[in-house]
Amino acid sequence: MNNEEFYIGWMGKAPKSFAAWIRKYLIVLLPVIIVLGVLLALSQKKFGTGTFEFGTLTEVKGIYFNKPVPTIKVVDGKDIWGNENYITVPLIGFGKHGADGVIADLEKEKNISFEGKEITLKGTLLYNDGKLLMQVDANDKPLVNVSGANINSVGLQKIKELGIIDVKGEIVDPKCFFGVMKPGEGKPHKDCAIRCILGGMPPVLKVTDEKGNQNYYLIVGANGEKMNEAVQDYVATPVEINARAVAYGDWVVLYVHPNGLQHYSYIREHFSTSIASCMAACIK
Amino acid sequence: MGASYLAVGWNRQKKIYDWLIFAFCVLYLATFVVLTAIFNPDYTFETVLIRATSTLAVIILHVTLSIGPLTRINKKFLPLLYNRRHLGVSMFCIILVHGSFSILQFHSLGNVNPFVSLFTSNTHFGSLADFPFQALGFFALIIFFLMAITSHDFWLHNLSPKVWKTLHMFVYLAYFLVVMHVMLGVIQYETNPVFIIIMLIGAFTLIALHLIAGTREVNKDDVIYKLKQDGYVLVCDVKDIEEDRAKMFCLDTERIAVYKTGGKLFAVNNVCKHQNGPLGEGKVIDGCITCPWHGYQYLPQNGQSPPPFKEKVSTYDVKLEGTHVWLNPKAYAEGTERPGAVISVVNAE
Repeated sequence: MNNEEFYIGWMGKAPKSFAAWIRKYLIVLLPVIIVLGVLLALSQKKFGTGTFEFGTLTEVKGIYFNKPVPTIKVVDGKDIWGNENYITVPLIGFGKHGADGVIADLEKEKNISFEGKEITLKGTLLYNDGKLLMQVDANDKPLVNVSGANINSVGLQKIKELGIIDVKGEIVDPKCFFGVMKPGEGKPHKDCAIRCILGGMPPVLKVTDEKGNQNYYLIVGANGEKMNEAVQDYVATPVEINARAVAYGDWVVLYVHPNGLQHYSYIREHFSTSIASCMAACIK
Repeated sequence: MGASYLAVGWNRQKKIYDWLIFAFCVLYLATFVVLTAIFNPDYTFETVLIRATSTLAVIILHVTLSIGPLTRINKKFLPLLYNRRHLGVSMFCIILVHGSFSILQFHSLGNVNPFVSLFTSNTHFGSLADFPFQALGFFALIIFFLMAITSHDFWLHNLSPKVWKTLHMFVYLAYFLVVMHVMLGVIQYETNPVFIIIMLIGAFTLIALHLIAGTREVNKDDVIYKLKQDGYVLVCDVKDIEEDRAKMFCLDTERIAVYKTGGKLFAVNNVCKHQNGPLGEGKVIDGCITCPWHGYQYLPQNGQSPPPFKEKVSTYDVKLEGTHVWLNPKAYAEGTERPGAVISVVNAE
């Protein structure tokens, strides 16, 4: 370096050799930044296809049921015998809250129970993978209409016992998973899923079969009680559930047995015997 | 260097520096967002914003942390070092967008305060797989915040250089927190190894640069000077020092810069009072020793900054015997005038 060349930042201009060196550095840095941007952008997992119709309110008419989770059964055409088909639309609240509070306030305001009644609700739809949910927000004045008389709802729930099952999957909150957030599952979303479930959102078990198809189960306690707080430590992590499965039309509800919710480890299940025998051999 | 405080003492170099930061940031964000929108049409704005800002901030953090060792290895990087704080503050602003949107997205509108939610939703602190990685990012954000708001020289003078430097060394803790935030967070979700590979390359590059620069410093400090008499140590030949330049010697763990200027040799403490810059790598300009890092100046004969500045460094005795430079490592109080050693015409040739 020339003795005359000395860089001082508070002077207007850098010496030529310094400026030339920094130019070279920037010429190297520029493609590095672009390549990193391209690599990182293209390496992301595919975003989910869920939709949250933010800002669009839709009126939905159906029969309201409070158990096992707040839902409305909506007519969805007829089968070949002329019987009405129903789809089940679980209700969720605004933000990270369940719909129970909103529905309870509306029932209090009207001084009637909505159970088994035909109601028309206005809310925001979200849907993905064949499942439809609706957000009901008190600020949207969601109750459009409620019939005074009970509908003959016997058989409408299409309850069918499926027996005791063991399933492995991930507990997610349905609002984020089916539309609001991408990703609405996995480690990055864990805190949010916990907060949503603790806020009253019904926990859902997402199960992926060997072919990559996904099935979804609503989770409640053995006697139908809420499990929102009980699942806190199991959200967004592999779990296995032992439960009584009951189909309510197009949703299956898992009545989780006491101690029926456990963390699941693929390694522990498939390799624990090998590891134990290996350790025993080593000790021997 | 200014006698009064300005928000930013703009000059041409600073403006070029900041425009380049802005241009690089816009280029990266545009690349990331446009490609995500094209190849991931189901994207959501919030997620893309969170990811674009987080990845950009991690890149800037690596660039910022590499400037120090790069400058130790090659002084031509000094223009990057001088305004490094601009890079740091820019990074903080980008991280703030990432952190704010993340807290809004993942913790707001719940049944508890978002900050309570941040620390109480996931409490698996004993598990690597489930570790609440967002808390790590939050603590890193706090460190970057403290660094950003104290980045101005006003805080350096009021906190004292030692406290200020200590606070800003927490950037390495913040870097560790950021690495763990990424490794225990998004890398456990993404399946493409590109993320972990880039992160590891970044970390190893930084570690290597710091080790290379550190080794060079240690080697300089480890030079042993055997000849001693009357408290003086023989350090070099007078011809080894260029005019208006210095050589640095480490004696008894004390780094001392011996300057040759105006036909004399002067010795001052090597550590600049501003940000511990190496005065021995500076130059005498307008009669003042000028620090290579930020241009702080000191008079060679007494180690005092010229009025109205008040910085002072220790001075030392230096003498010449023939062409041999002898240095006494016993420090005088900061700002003490010393006569220096006169270089005779014969010695200077």
